[in-house]
Amino acid sequence: MTTKLILRLMAICLFVVSCKHEEKHKYHTVVDKIVAETIESENTTLTSEIYNEGIKTVTVNEDGYDFLIPERKSQIASYNCTECHTEPIENLKQHQLDEKAAHWNIKLVHASAETMNCATCHTSSDMDNLHSLTNSTIDFNYSYKVCSQCHQQEFKDWKGGAHGKQLGGWAPPRLSKTCVNCHNPHQPAFEKRWPVRFNTQKVKERK
Amino acid sequence: MKTLKVFRSLVKDAMLEVTHGNRAYHIWMAVLSFIMLFGMYNYSIQLDEGLSATGMTDRVSWGLYISNFTFLVGVAAAAVMLVLPAYVLKNVDFKQAVLIGEGLAVAALLMCLAFVVADMGGPARLWHMIPGIGVFNFPNSMLAWDVIVLNGYLFINITIPLYILMMRYQGKTPNPKVYIPGVFLSVFWAVGIHMVTAFLYQGLQARPFWNNALLGPRFLASAFAAGPALIIIVLAIIRKFTSFKVPDTTIKKISMIVTVAAQINLIMLISELFKEFYAPTHHSISAVYLFFGLNGKTALLPWIWTSISLNVIATIALTFHKIRNNLKILYVLCGMLFVAIWIEKGFGLIVPGFIPGPWGKIAEYTPTFVEISVTLGIWAMGAFIFTILAKTGIAVELGQRVYKKK
Amino acid sequence: MSNENKKWFSLNLNRSKKTDSCGCGNNSGSCSDQKEKDGYDQIMDVPMDRRAAFKKITAGFLIGAGAVNSSCSVISGDESKEKANIEWEEYFKGNYKLMTNEEKDKTVDRLTRSYELRTGKNLSMSSKDAEEDVLFGYAFNISKCQGYMDCVNACVEENNQDRATEMQYIRIHEMDEGKGFNFEESDDNYYHEVPADGHFYMGTQCFHCDNPPCVEVCPVQATWKEKDGIVVIDYDWCIGCRYCMAACPYDGRRFNWKTPEVPEKEVNKKQHYLGNRLRKKGVMEKCTFCIQRSREGQNPACVEACPTGSRTFGNLLDPKSNIRWILDNKKVFRLKEDLGTEPKFWYYMD
Repeated sequence: MTTKLILRLMAICLFVVSCKHEEKHKYHTVVDKIVAETIESENTTLTSEIYNEGIKTVTVNEDGYDFLIPERKSQIASYNCTECHTEPIENLKQHQLDEKAAHWNIKLVHASAETMNCATCHTSSDMDNLHSLTNSTIDFNYSYKVCSQCHQQEFKDWKGGAHGKQLGGWAPPRLSKTCVNCHNPHQPAFEKRWPVRFNTQKVKERK
Repeated sequence: MKTLKVFRSLVKDAMLEVTHGNRAYHIWMAVLSFIMLFGMYNYSIQLDEGLSATGMTDRVSWGLYISNFTFLVGVAAAAVMLVLPAYVLKNVDFKQAVLIGEGLAVAALLMCLAFVVADMGGPARLWHMIPGIGVFNFPNSMLAWDVIVLNGYLFINITIPLYILMMRYQGKTPNPKVYIPGVFLSVFWAVGIHMVTAFLYQGLQARPFWNNALLGPRFLASAFAAGPALIIIVLAIIRKFTSFKVPDTTIKKISMIVTVAAQINLIMLISELFKEFYAPTHHSISAVYLFFGLNGKTALLPWIWTSISLNVIATIALTFHKIRNNLKILYVLCGMLFVAIWIEKGFGLIVPGFIPGPWGKIAEYTPTFVEISVTLGIWAMGAFIFTILAKTGIAVELGQRVYKKK
Repeated sequence: MSNENKKWFSLNLNRSKKTDSCGCGNNSGSCSDQKEKDGYDQIMDVPMDRRAAFKKITAGFLIGAGAVNSSCSVISGDESKEKANIEWEEYFKGNYKLMTNEEKDKTVDRLTRSYELRTGKNLSMSSKDAEEDVLFGYAFNISKCQGYMDCVNACVEENNQDRATEMQYIRIHEMDEGKGFNFEESDDNYYHEVPADGHFYMGTQCFHCDNPPCVEVCPVQATWKEKDGIVVIDYDWCIGCRYCMAACPYDGRRFNWKTPEVPEKEVNKKQHYLGNRLRKKGVMEKCTFCIQRSREGQNPACVEACPTGSRTFGNLLDPKSNIRWILDNKKVFRLKEDLGTEPKFWYYMD
């Protein structure tokens, strides 16, 4: 009697458990779930447009990746460069013998002197634009093209979204920072600094 | 209708019984009441300030309360060890012990529930657990299971002795057909409450110290050592202070149970230690902390080594008939075993589960005064309830209180 | 599938076709695929009547005891009456998960009104549901993190965490470069110039597991996984047993050991019911991927604050999202994968 009852109870339990199992584990892993439920087109109603408002952008279209980056030229304090650079740099230097030179604070800490100097990116023949290693013109708004000549892996990751930082929100359209929004091109490394906070309670807790 | 009348009369008689006694009894009850009141006062502090009044932190988030809860579930479950032979095998010897055992189970269960409530961050919101008006996460949550089995066990352990007492009270013989099914149920149930309580910890993949298939069986073994050990001590006290006759053979039979359970418990302890220390993995760190300390943090060392020494000495001594059959030594050994298992199933099990934390950080746990006071208060409550139950039960059993038809 | 021979994890997007069966080839068995409510949920479909009855009974008791003076007294002002009334209604409300939209609106109204009564200030509280076709995921670049802890600050401010106990959802672990992921020897409370030589940094927080052990163990279903994958807590339904905390292998959960303190002028007033609204003592809380932000299309505060771009957040179901590109192209891993919790928080290196 009793054993029969117990067996029946166990059967019910098993049924309950197995039912729960199938409901919950429709997919073995979250990756299976992602693959199976991926949406074909962007049909989410959410958009980042309101967060991107107020940021002037330009469109990047590289190898099938379409996204926005902040416009650069209007952010440079003394653009156009040709407003000052009206004559060759040698001449400008002679004018300013007693005064502090313009761009005095720029110190190049980017690769070695053998690899890079001012003329790697800038050219005196066209001060309003950057130029590539093969001397083709690169617009200041698309300065990433200069960087990507050497930093190919970073460029690849940046296009995909693994390097760099998204502005606005996660929802489309995508607006990513461009290289120079985080890295000073003349001193691209991040500086050492103190962490912004210290938890005094944790210290007490672990005394 | 008649049953109700008998019950009312029984309650009235019980009230008379528990309010009358000799001076020692009154002092005992007064002391318990005082400790309970003190515990309640400290609980009010805890309610006011929140659980920050305890020594628990985000690191060690369960402490003294849950430790005692775990241990007492074991004590409650152990009543079954006496119920089974007494009722089913018609072993007359045990019958006197059974009422005491079930009274002990009821008191232990009420203490369990009190400890759980004391541990809650929002005791006022506990109604969220009541099926029907709240939401009960059954069957997924082991805590939900535990609530069901503990309350069910409490119900069984109140009804069976109550039925028997009511019968005795009226001078009748209890009908086995009525209580035997209940006894069967309670036997399975007792194993159930302790296994479910073990599963509460065992099912957490986050805590390798608990996530261990031996936890449940070891809970049972230690419970069946500690519970009957307590019953032996209680019987000894009752024998001394009341006219209730408990023959030596009863105590000796129970001591047999204690011995076997303690031996099994010791074997399981060795098996656990072997697994943790023969080929230690990073899952053994909690055990290292418990037994040897970690990075100079050694708060649990004195506790666990006291526990292990007491446990080993008591178990070895109990193994020898000659020592065991000397009742005075037996009482001492039972006391040792009880303390040893209280440490082992309490501090020695709950706290190291949290140390080190998921990211290897060690924050030690020391209970605060408030916490200790509340704990003592709840133990006093348990003793108070048990005294009332036992005194009434004994009076009815001895025929001092009988139902008088008006 | 040829992809299964790959030695590292990658998501090949092109093979993604919706299938009815699970990966092992079993089609759904005895149980239907439709989301069926279990027994208790079915019971809970009619919870209000029963709870209303319970409310009335309790009210009866309290009136008998004369304890509802404040709500019934003629002398006390309208505001204190309203306050008491709100407290009363709030105490007896149901589990958020099972509320109808109307009930959700009502409790949000009560909570905002109650804040207004207490402080005279207004706040906006949302009860926005999960968006369709969204599953949130997070990626963390351990090569990039420098340990500045800007994320921690942003999180504390955004989510109104207790200032007194310095509660923080995010932990940044400073690891020795030669020792691999050795959490035992790492330091999550460093204070020196960072990045320190020979060290790397790794952040942990709630990983919003797809198979969350914390949700399983909660005895009252006060915590659950939303449709967009965020694991949330109903702070008003939590009873404070801390079982979820013991069940979490990632140290993702925090408990309010006392009443949390947030100075009124620092309170973030843009709130969500399941997110950063003010908590009370004795309840659990944790990272919600800033649900008040993410459900509006924004990035969580930590992602926005990170100066190094180590943190990426997005929709895992959107094949064009950054997070998907990372999963598909980088060698990603998760912590304690052997536990089967399926975190939606991946780590990767450059």
